[in-house]
Amino acid sequence: MTAFIHAFHSEWLKRKRSFASTLVIGGSLFTPVIVAVVRLIHYRGLPAIYAAEAFWPNLWRACWESMAIFFLPLGAILATSLITQIEFKSNAWKQVHALPISTVVIFLTKLGVILVMIIEFLLLFNAGMYVSGMIPVALPGVPNPKGAFLSLPLLRENALYFMDVLPIVGAQYLMALRSNNALVPIGIGFMAWVGALAAVSSKVAIWWPYSYTIIHYLSDKPKGAKFAAYTELHWLAAISFVLLTVISYVLFITKRERG
Amino acid sequence: MYALQTSHLHHRFANHDVLRGIDMQVPTGSIYGFLGPNGAGKTTTLRLVLGLLQTQQGEIRIFGKRFDKERIAILRNVGSLIESPSLYDHLTASENLRLMQIIHRCPTSRITEVLELVGLADAGRKRAKQFSLGMRQRLAIAGALLHRPELIILDEPTNGLDPSGIIEIRNLLMELNRRDGCTILVSSHLLSEIDRLATHVGILGKGKLLFQGTIDELRRCRQEVLSIRMSTSDNADAVRAITENGIAARIVEEEIVLPALTGERIASLNRMLMARNLDVYEIRTVRNDLETIFLNLVRE
Repeated sequence: MTAFIHAFHSEWLKRKRSFASTLVIGGSLFTPVIVAVVRLIHYRGLPAIYAAEAFWPNLWRACWESMAIFFLPLGAILATSLITQIEFKSNAWKQVHALPISTVVIFLTKLGVILVMIIEFLLLFNAGMYVSGMIPVALPGVPNPKGAFLSLPLLRENALYFMDVLPIVGAQYLMALRSNNALVPIGIGFMAWVGALAAVSSKVAIWWPYSYTIIHYLSDKPKGAKFAAYTELHWLAAISFVLLTVISYVLFITKRERG
Repeated sequence: MYALQTSHLHHRFANHDVLRGIDMQVPTGSIYGFLGPNGAGKTTTLRLVLGLLQTQQGEIRIFGKRFDKERIAILRNVGSLIESPSLYDHLTASENLRLMQIIHRCPTSRITEVLELVGLADAGRKRAKQFSLGMRQRLAIAGALLHRPELIILDEPTNGLDPSGIIEIRNLLMELNRRDGCTILVSSHLLSEIDRLATHVGILGKGKLLFQGTIDELRRCRQEVLSIRMSTSDNADAVRAITENGIAARIVEEEIVLPALTGERIASLNRMLMARNLDVYEIRTVRNDLETIFLNLVRE
């Protein structure tokens, strides 16, 4: 366990000043910033919006639409690929494998850093959402929103979206560990995401690892009615992630050349 | 006692035998120069030794322990630099070392110490992407020394260094070996570099270990007289006289060149020339230098 903690600490430092860490901050705050800016521009309509009983649920839905469909899957594709590719880019796999840490620790710490970055992505997004809701209150005539931000199903929904994005992380990690060119996993991931957008019009999307966050968002909307019966969606996502991770690990440890 | 020992190490890449039974023995406390022309299999051997390539056939022992059984325990005492430096360009020199310091669990103060050792004391806060090739090489060497390893494996460590940098790194390695008693395995295709640095040498050619022993043993076992060179008051007359005595002689660069001869034969030639009133200024034997020995070995 101590070896894992030290290796994780070392891995965590590698993301410092990296494009992936900038992307996590930028991607997670993008929607809340846009929402805040648009509301400030159209400030005349704000008193009515803020007087609504369902102010926070409305803001939640508005922010999650772009997050679930666009930013979360693409953020996972980019962050996973870029973090894994740091070793290829730095020609450092050989150094990593020559350190006194086991192969399983090398594999899990890098994956752990990616997962923590996804959590960071969600935390920043939620914090950004709250701030974007509170900024306009400073304007004259805008009342405090009704209800409490914390009354939203924050923990449950974030946890479920986290589970739903895991298959993307698993698939991207598998590809990024195999390819020494960052563009390959990113390109394939992007195409797979486009495929998910196309697939959600059909029930087969339930078997496509890149579609779970989109299905989750649509599940309580008319467009997603066909997925209503699939209550096990999140578990399916978790199982896909475990399977993809096991395949990644087997391929990782059986690699003939390490770095 | 050997710090590193390989037995019958074979390796194939795409139906091509890269290594054909390498039995390498690196004595504890030595500086072992691993020599060979480009493509001889030096890097493949070092990669196998560090577990960067899966062993296909043969056994590797470091500090007497089997590498495949005790990889982590062994790597705790090994520092390495294989081929080009592995550096994270977006991090500073200190941060690059910090990543390894955390894993090795050595004191943080070692980062400053090794940066000073390799002459990068003022560059700790500079990002690696701003480093020249020589500075990158020094930083990678600093990483290999960070945890005071008992065995240091360096693949072409002076690549990219200027002459003064080469001398500094050579002196540093010799000092580490002398002061801390650490074993150093250093590969190079530069014979002159190994000649100045190493106590032991292994010469690899076409996947085979052609020679292994001390530098002095290498000189002794392969050294032989190639020719005799002579200088007289009248070289043309001397050549005529020597040829009349049945010895093939010729003039090259104002010197008489003769084939290898016994001591008695050289003495009798000297007496004969003096009898002909020719002054003999110099008679010397020309032997193989280390470079010739190396070239002869790898060409065989």
